[in-house]
Amino acid sequence: MNKKTIPALIVLILSILIAVGSQTFLGACVHGDGSFGACHWAARAMLALGGTQAVMAMLALVFPKQKQGLYLGMLPVSVAGLLTPGTLIDICKVNTMRCRMVMRPAMLVLFGLTLVIAMVGCLTARGRNA
Amino acid sequence: MKLRQLPLKNLLRRPGRTAALVLLTAFLALSVFCGSVVVRSLQSGLDSLEARLGADIIVMPATAESKVSFKNMLLQGTTGAFYMDASVLEKVREVEGVAIAAPQTFLASLKADCCAVKVQVIGMDPATDFTVKPWIDRSTSRALEEMDVAVGCDVTADVGEDLRIYGLNTHVVAKLAETGTGLDTAVYCTLDTMKRLLAAAEEKGVGHKITSDTSDMISAVYVKVAEGYDVDAVNNALNGHVRKVTAVRARSMFTDVSDSLTGISQTVALLIGAVWVLAFVILLIAFAMMVNERRREFAVLRLLGASRRGLSRLMLAESALCSLAGGMIGVGVAALAVFPFATLIETRLGLPYLTPPAREILAMAAGTMLATLLVGALASAWSAWRLSRTDVGIALREGV
Repeated sequence: MNKKTIPALIVLILSILIAVGSQTFLGACVHGDGSFGACHWAARAMLALGGTQAVMAMLALVFPKQKQGLYLGMLPVSVAGLLTPGTLIDICKVNTMRCRMVMRPAMLVLFGLTLVIAMVGCLTARGRNA
Repeated sequence: MKLRQLPLKNLLRRPGRTAALVLLTAFLALSVFCGSVVVRSLQSGLDSLEARLGADIIVMPATAESKVSFKNMLLQGTTGAFYMDASVLEKVREVEGVAIAAPQTFLASLKADCCAVKVQVIGMDPATDFTVKPWIDRSTSRALEEMDVAVGCDVTADVGEDLRIYGLNTHVVAKLAETGTGLDTAVYCTLDTMKRLLAAAEEKGVGHKITSDTSDMISAVYVKVAEGYDVDAVNNALNGHVRKVTAVRARSMFTDVSDSLTGISQTVALLIGAVWVLAFVILLIAFAMMVNERRREFAVLRLLGASRRGLSRLMLAESALCSLAGGMIGVGVAALAVFPFATLIETRLGLPYLTPPAREILAMAAGTMLATLLVGALASAWSAWRLSRTDVGIALREGV
């Protein structure tokens, strides 16, 4: 494995975790009556953002020359991911609900990590290009 | 290359070995920091619960489920609704040694109304209340009026918003500080508001086992014992003089919580101790192997003019760098696991859990780093001492 591909690989793994996790073990509240809360749509947005970031990470692995631009593109996606649950899309009102207790903190940690790693990838790619 | 750059260069030259040492110290730091934060948070939670209750004795209906329900309400935030006749309040006040007796009425909201989860609604009398009112006064100078509510910090309705309970709009006027207990998910109102909510609940067909007029029902009476009176004696007097109720000492209600906390603290301390010993032994072996492997390298350095003390310092510096990196990674990972998921930990443990203030957390992080550095230094000290006594000639002849 090439050292230069490590950030893209980590972002890929984290993004898949975001996309899959937001629909399964890190997902939104499950209501007994089958109805959806706002957090359900926040989880859908997480799926879209995680999927987008995973595709970008894959592209960074396949087209190494375009890496820096792809890392730069990941930054706003990560910021959007950080802002989506609770700020851009409302979630349930009580902190002991699953979406507040599990989904939101997990997404904040995962998108926070992708943001930092994309920044590192961007800086190291710039260093090599300079 | 300068001699002080040598430790870092040595570590970077062998990334696999360095990564293993860093990972080991990171694991040690993670266990120490996680354990310390969780145990301290549980202790803060219990202290906060005792401070929040503020009562010496709690009087509630004499049914087994009311006591369990009350305890679960405080510890886990589950809803509870049990009632007794309001005349109990006057009878409690008549007992000698009772300084203040404050009534509270409980009601569980419908989950569809506000939050997709049931919240506990607690009605209290602002004129006599000494448990919730001081906390409300810290959040707002405004007195609770009819249809005003104060919400616990885990109810994410902001001041100024409306909260719909049983079809009635209540106005949020205060948000209370965190206690780390089930009371954080409760909504507080006056007894007048509670009467309207109880009536609305009855209209909606939600039975709360109320047998008479809702305005004559209360759920619990919080008692403050007058100075100079023995709490146990007053507790016994209440149980003897007031019928169909149970008076419970607030402290005794949480004895098993306190016992669980002691058990958890001991287990965590044991685990941390085991990880410490394990990490120390592994580091000791790793550094001893490292010194054996690099005997010729150190002998060459001695020939180039490095002193015995200089070589020991080199060894200690390498261990310090590994411990520092491992400590930072361990504390960082532990922080990502413990702080965002504090509510999850609280819910899973079913115990009061209040994250300590930032300065305490910083002190714990600094202590963890220090402990990690200490383990690294102690483990490498023996190898450094052996290194300083190695004969250069023998070391160079070995393996030739």
